[in-house]
Amino acid sequence: MPLLTVHCYAALREAAGARVELELPAGSTAGELKRAVAEQLPDHAALVERSAVAVNRRLVGPTETVGPEDEIALLPPVSGG
Amino acid sequence: MDRYSRQTVLPGVGAEGQARLGSGCAAIVGLGALGSAAADLLVRAGVGHIILIDRDVLELHNLQRQSLYTEQDVADRLPKAEAARRHLSAIDPHARLTVHIADLDAGTALDLLEGADVVVDGTDNYETRYLLNDAAVSTGRPWTYGGVLGSEGTMMAIHPGQTPCLRCLFPDPPPAGSVVTCETMGVWAPTARVIASLEAGAALQFLLGEEPAPGLVHLDTRSGRLVRLESGGPDPDCPACGQGRYDHLEAGASGMAVRPCGGGSVHVSPPGGRMVTGEGGLDLEALARRLSSQVGEVKQNPYLLQFDAEGVRMTVFADGRALMQGTEDRARARSLYARFVGT
Repeated sequence: MPLLTVHCYAALREAAGARVELELPAGSTAGELKRAVAEQLPDHAALVERSAVAVNRRLVGPTETVGPEDEIALLPPVSGG
Repeated sequence: MDRYSRQTVLPGVGAEGQARLGSGCAAIVGLGALGSAAADLLVRAGVGHIILIDRDVLELHNLQRQSLYTEQDVADRLPKAEAARRHLSAIDPHARLTVHIADLDAGTALDLLEGADVVVDGTDNYETRYLLNDAAVSTGRPWTYGGVLGSEGTMMAIHPGQTPCLRCLFPDPPPAGSVVTCETMGVWAPTARVIASLEAGAALQFLLGEEPAPGLVHLDTRSGRLVRLESGGPDPDCPACGQGRYDHLEAGASGMAVRPCGGGSVHVSPPGGRMVTGEGGLDLEALARRLSSQVGEVKQNPYLLQFDAEGVRMTVFADGRALMQGTEDRARARSLYARFVGT
C-alpha cells in the first residue's frame, strides 16, 4: 500500500510529533485518512477526529482523495490566546 | 499635522476610508495576549468605537505577553477591560470605549456584541470561540478567529455567508482534557503579536469595506514556518452557517455555571448576564463588610473584591461572577460561592 506522510500542527504536533507516516490504499479519502491516523494514535483519536485536513495547502472536505504525492497536514483548532 | 497621514495615504484608505474607521465599531472579546495587542492597533488606527469585553483580573504572569498593561495595574488588581480602557484612552482620548467586565456566555453574547460592525477573537478557550462563531454568524457579523499555542498560531477572517466559518472547518471542539493548554505549553509572545496583528488588519479591512485574504494562516515564529491554507466557500453541511443551527448559542445560560479556566482555577457565573442588563449587581461594599468578619482581610477596588478562604483565593466581580484559584472541584466551587458570596 502507498505510504503517506501527514504533517501535524499545534496541539497534535505536541501530542504525536511533527509527522505521522501510514499506509493507506490508493484512492483513499481525507475522511478515511483521519480515521486511519486516529487508529494509529488511539490516545489522541478525539483530537485527530476534530482536526481539519489540508491537501497541498488547501483545506478539504472528507470526500477529497489523498495520495502519497500530496502534501498532507492535520490541524486541530488552536484555542489559546 | 494630521494624526492619520501615514494611513490615509495608503491605497484604498484616504479621507473616506478614515471616516469609515472613525464611524466603525469593533468588539474585542478577551483582552489577553491577542485582544490587548489588537486593541492597541485598532485604537491607533482611529476606529471610533471599541467594545472591550473581558471577565478576568490582571495577574503578574500576564505581563510577559499582554500589551498595554503595567505592574501598577496588577498591584491595583484591575480587571483587564478597565486597565485596557485607561491605557487606550491615554493613547486616544477621543476614542469611544465601552467596557464590559463580563463573561461572554450564551445568555450575554448577543447583548455584549450589540452594535459591533466586526468582532475580534481574543479569547483563550474553545467554548467562548464556538459561542462567538454562533453569535457572529447568526447576526451576519464578520469576525476574526485567532488562536495561539506555544510558538504556533492560527488566524482566519470569517465573513458569514461568504467564507467558511469556524464550524465549517472544525464542526466540534476537541473534548476537554484532550488538548494541551497554554498553562502547560506556554505562549511565545511574538507569535501572539503576529496573530493579533493579522486579526486587527482583517478587522480594519472589514471596516473599510474590503474583503481580507481568504483562508487560514498557520505559523510558527520560532521555526519560521508560515503557510496560508486556501479554503473554498462556506460548507452547506455546516451546522452553523449552512444549516442555521446555533448549538452553542442556543445552549442557553440557565442556573449557575461553573467552568474550569485553567491553572487550577474555576469561574463561577450566576444565572443571567447581570452586568449587561445593569440590574442586580452585587453591593461590593456590603459584601466586603460582611466578609471581613468571616474571612479576615478583604482587598477591594471599585470593580471587585478579593479574599482567601479555605485555601482558595476568591475574586468576586461587581456583576456577581467569581474566579476561584486553588480548586478545580466544581461542587466545591458552588458550595464556596453559596457560603461566601450568596446565591
